[in-house]
Amino acid sequence: MERLASRILGVAVMLASGAAVVIAMDWPLKAKLFPISIGVPVFCMAAAEVLWGLLRPDARAAAMDFRLSDHLPSKIAVRRTLAAIGWMLGFLMGIVLVGFPMAVPLVVFLYAKVQGRESWGLSLGLALGVWGLFYAVFDRLLHLPFPAGWIQTWLGVA
Amino acid sequence: MIDALFEGLLLVLQWKAFAFMLLGIGVGFWVGLLPGLGGVTTLALMLPFIYAMTPIEGFAFLLGMHSVVATTGDITSVLFGIPGEGTTAATILDGHAMAKKGEAGRALGAALASSLVGALVGAFALAIAIPVVRPLVLSFGSPELFMVAIVGIAFIASLSAEGGRGMLRGFLAGGLGLMVATVGQDPQAGIARFTFDSLYLWNGLDLVPVLIGIFAIPELIDLALRGTSIAGDVPKGQLNKGALEGVKDTFRHFGLTLRCSLIGTFIGIMPGLGGAVAQWLAYGHAAQSARTAEERAGFGRGDVRGVLGPGAANNSKEGGALIPTVAFGVPGSSSMAILLGGFFLLGLVPGPDMLTTHLTVTFSMVWTIVLANIITVVACFLFLNHLAKLTVVRGALLIPVILVLVFVGSYTANNDYGDVLLMLFFGAVGYLMVAGGWPRAPFVLGLVLGKIVENNLYISVARYEAEWLTRPIVLVLAALAVAVMLYPLLQARRSAARGG
Repeated sequence: MERLASRILGVAVMLASGAAVVIAMDWPLKAKLFPISIGVPVFCMAAAEVLWGLLRPDARAAAMDFRLSDHLPSKIAVRRTLAAIGWMLGFLMGIVLVGFPMAVPLVVFLYAKVQGRESWGLSLGLALGVWGLFYAVFDRLLHLPFPAGWIQTWLGVA
Repeated sequence: MIDALFEGLLLVLQWKAFAFMLLGIGVGFWVGLLPGLGGVTTLALMLPFIYAMTPIEGFAFLLGMHSVVATTGDITSVLFGIPGEGTTAATILDGHAMAKKGEAGRALGAALASSLVGALVGAFALAIAIPVVRPLVLSFGSPELFMVAIVGIAFIASLSAEGGRGMLRGFLAGGLGLMVATVGQDPQAGIARFTFDSLYLWNGLDLVPVLIGIFAIPELIDLALRGTSIAGDVPKGQLNKGALEGVKDTFRHFGLTLRCSLIGTFIGIMPGLGGAVAQWLAYGHAAQSARTAEERAGFGRGDVRGVLGPGAANNSKEGGALIPTVAFGVPGSSSMAILLGGFFLLGLVPGPDMLTTHLTVTFSMVWTIVLANIITVVACFLFLNHLAKLTVVRGALLIPVILVLVFVGSYTANNDYGDVLLMLFFGAVGYLMVAGGWPRAPFVLGLVLGKIVENNLYISVARYEAEWLTRPIVLVLAALAVAVMLYPLLQARRSAARGG
């Protein structure tokens, strides 16, 4: 997993920095000076990282950072990771479709009930509690503008 | 001067000023806890409320609020791995790692105690430095500020991973951060760079959604992956014992805490470097304090020194940033620029008057920082162990709540869905970095410093051409950058020689 992720990142950074340098070529000197002077070394370092990974994949390079848990069988790990990503994308869809004020309690309730298999009472209570906090702080106190979702707009109830 | 010092204290302790300070502390406390809701924004929102106040009351309110934001921001960073403030992201690396080991109480105790030490050092610096700081600030022009930024990146990049390949990844991550910072309208020519015709990208990438994405999303996925609470299978009873241990850690590593406080103060004094830089430099210094490569490998996995450094620097920078603001009217950061507005609203003009006619007001600021931090830390300690218990709440109940904080926190940056998309994009980048063993700290520092580096490089070249490279302070800083790059390599060689 580590090698694959590092390789994906290395290639992506190579492509992005290469493209950035090419795009920046057309700008006036003032605008391109910094992106090019950073982009070229970043491209070279990304290429070196990819090569290093190919030629000496076992070289020590542990980051001063946390490590993802690796005690689970890979099938379960992949399934749970995809589920977590799915919930995030689902939340995003919820925000777009029904807006923040409705998506917040909905996602909290569904996650607790479906993913966490919590009881109905606890799931509903948690959803209501989080919604109450969200409403009190972000809506009533801070008056943040939360746009209506597509569904409310389509139904004309926004 | 001593009379003014005590008069400043008595003025803050007057019931009305004290009440306003408590009100400010209350606001700052919650602002710090909520991710995304920044101290700078809140300072701007609160500015109109000081119209009817006296200068002492106004500054007690504003500074009381601003002084504690970083302190409580650490709590969110430690407990949930979400930066409560942009300036508290570095605390996540080791603070949250400690929480996962069941040492949330210890991490919080260390963060709070070091924050208090940092705030006291910053306030002390403010009290004594005003007359002597002028030559220091004036000797740092664009070339020197550029080099300070380069030293910072070299510091973090060279220390953030093991071995030669790790160092390459560190510099690569730092360079990537600098590149990402170029997105948006170019400050010199006004060209829209890498905006892909998107109006949202014209202002550049907001730090808050990027930080939340890069730090919180990998942690959230890992929490879902483990299927347990944050602290996992930690034996019951351990959580309640840690807070005092964290305080002891602060004094066990008092030299480090003090040095990181001074780093924070120095960064605060330098106009334009900003608070987010101080924490990372302090973190780099804390990592550098490890005596062996093996000891350093513990950083990022729950070394308490990784909490003490950023905690101290975060709070000491406020006192430092006040120095040029009060003495010359040159704000050291965006929050200080807003505070400068407060000066004018209250009928004060920053400059020599603040050191003569209004010296008591200046000292009242010092006392406000001191008192606000003491009150906050004491208040936090009262329910610190209860806060630590959040780390044993089941993942199924905690994840949706954190998810809401992450999404709403990102959205509040600009009230734009683009912030949420940006957070998710950098969440994916952060996840790949963690999975691939790339350090995230240099990336964030590169991003934070990008605009500063570019502006100062451009001004240096335009103003001095190549001559800026020969300025004495630039040469000293360049030598320091080379030294910090070579240090881990020499240390690794020495360890290898000792082992073999």
